[in-house]
Amino acid sequence: MTQAPSDATTIRLEIARYRPEQDERPVLERYDVPYRHEWVVLDALNYLKDHIDGTLSYRWSCRMGICGSCGMMVNGVPKLTCSAFLRDYLPGPIRVEPMANFPVERDLVTVLDDFMEKFQAVKPWIIRDGEQPLEEGEYRQTPAQLADFKQFSMCINCMLCYAACPVYQHEDEFLGPAVLALAQRYNHDSRDQGKGERQELIWSDEGIWDCTFVGECSAVCPKHVDPAGAIQQAKVESTVGWYRSFLAPFGRG
Amino acid sequence: MARPYPRERSNAWFLERWPYRVFVLRELSALFLALYMGVLLVLAARVHEGSSAFRDYVDALQSPLYLAFHAVALLFALLHSVTWFQAVPKGLPLRRGEQRVAPALLIGANYVAMLALTVLVLVVVLS
Amino acid sequence: MRRSNEPLFWSLFSAGGVVTALLVPALILVTGFLVPAERVEFGRLEAILSHPVGRLALFGVASLTFIHAAHRLRHVLVDMGLRRFRGPIAVAAYLAAIGGAAWAATVAFA
Repeated sequence: MTQAPSDATTIRLEIARYRPEQDERPVLERYDVPYRHEWVVLDALNYLKDHIDGTLSYRWSCRMGICGSCGMMVNGVPKLTCSAFLRDYLPGPIRVEPMANFPVERDLVTVLDDFMEKFQAVKPWIIRDGEQPLEEGEYRQTPAQLADFKQFSMCINCMLCYAACPVYQHEDEFLGPAVLALAQRYNHDSRDQGKGERQELIWSDEGIWDCTFVGECSAVCPKHVDPAGAIQQAKVESTVGWYRSFLAPFGRG
Repeated sequence: MARPYPRERSNAWFLERWPYRVFVLRELSALFLALYMGVLLVLAARVHEGSSAFRDYVDALQSPLYLAFHAVALLFALLHSVTWFQAVPKGLPLRRGEQRVAPALLIGANYVAMLALTVLVLVVVLS
Repeated sequence: MRRSNEPLFWSLFSAGGVVTALLVPALILVTGFLVPAERVEFGRLEAILSHPVGRLALFGVASLTFIHAAHRLRHVLVDMGLRRFRGPIAVAAYLAAIGGAAWAATVAFA
């Protein structure tokens, strides 16, 4: 159910501009763009770039909430701008800033190196002790086994959860929501045998234990991955493992 | 070569948006739980000392200051209960085959348990 | 990478969280409002607190509450900006909780 079309004809955008060659720090600049009932913030940015100021830099690709490139802060809240309708922000102005908690490359473009490093650190791929021979066929999985991790596999790496996470904002080493949910996705995959390799990092202070369950990562996630839930579950598993290591000190580490 | 603008950290992040404010209130509920537990222990100590010590402390508990404290503590305790129950299905995603047990069911079970314990406490104390 | 000992504290924190979430509103109702309203008899309170089950319950609930609170406050202080003092804060918080538990023991088993 959407509201009736508004009679607004323009809407004001306040856009954080950062041009390293001229700006000491990001500055807000104001632009009036046409208002269309069916436009999203990304449409307004595209209009702005095409008709008003071609120097504006931002990332986008699919326009349908799949690619995860157009995440920005819209009125202070992490959003995919392709899914944030102008009509929900009437009468404006709409403040558009680069995703919080990341360095800014230029205008609305953030530096993603830290995320990429942490992303690889949890080994987000299926790890096998040994591959079974081809003639034994594929690795089969029951629907219940699939259901055990499917939710965590829906992540599109848009990083909105990082922009929402105050712990990530303040703690450089924290692996962060999406990466920990991804670790959980592979740890819970019945075809994977790499849990032991991931554990040391995941169960460390830089992993799940920096999280204080603020929960905003899950609130802003456009794919309902629920990273906060993934981390809580990993805490339970880590705790069980910790106590078990005392009961069976010579068991597998 | 472009120089990135370093990421910004806010010292007042917990005041900036409602979800963060609720988070901090949720965490601070623990302060009121601990303070209340202190009052409860003092009361228990007075009971062990005898009826006149207890009587004196009841007089103190009747003061507006104590009543206000208990009213605030009750609100924080309820905030703790509600947010805690809300979090239970996050950490314990029970599954029946492919289907996840509805989070509302787990949360509801916690409220039922809380209600039952409250009735039990009242029966033990009052009957 | 050092293995975290957080599971020990977190499990105690969680146990305390469950107990307080289920019980504390009822306890506040009784001791914060019914007792000052003189609806609770001294003899009944004395009987409850002298009964072995009552003593154990008081000690258990109080000590778990203190550990729960210590853990939570330790983390929220760090989150609120005292990250530089995280070590001393943790030590102070858990020491306070142990002190609280010891106090609870002396009261409960008096």
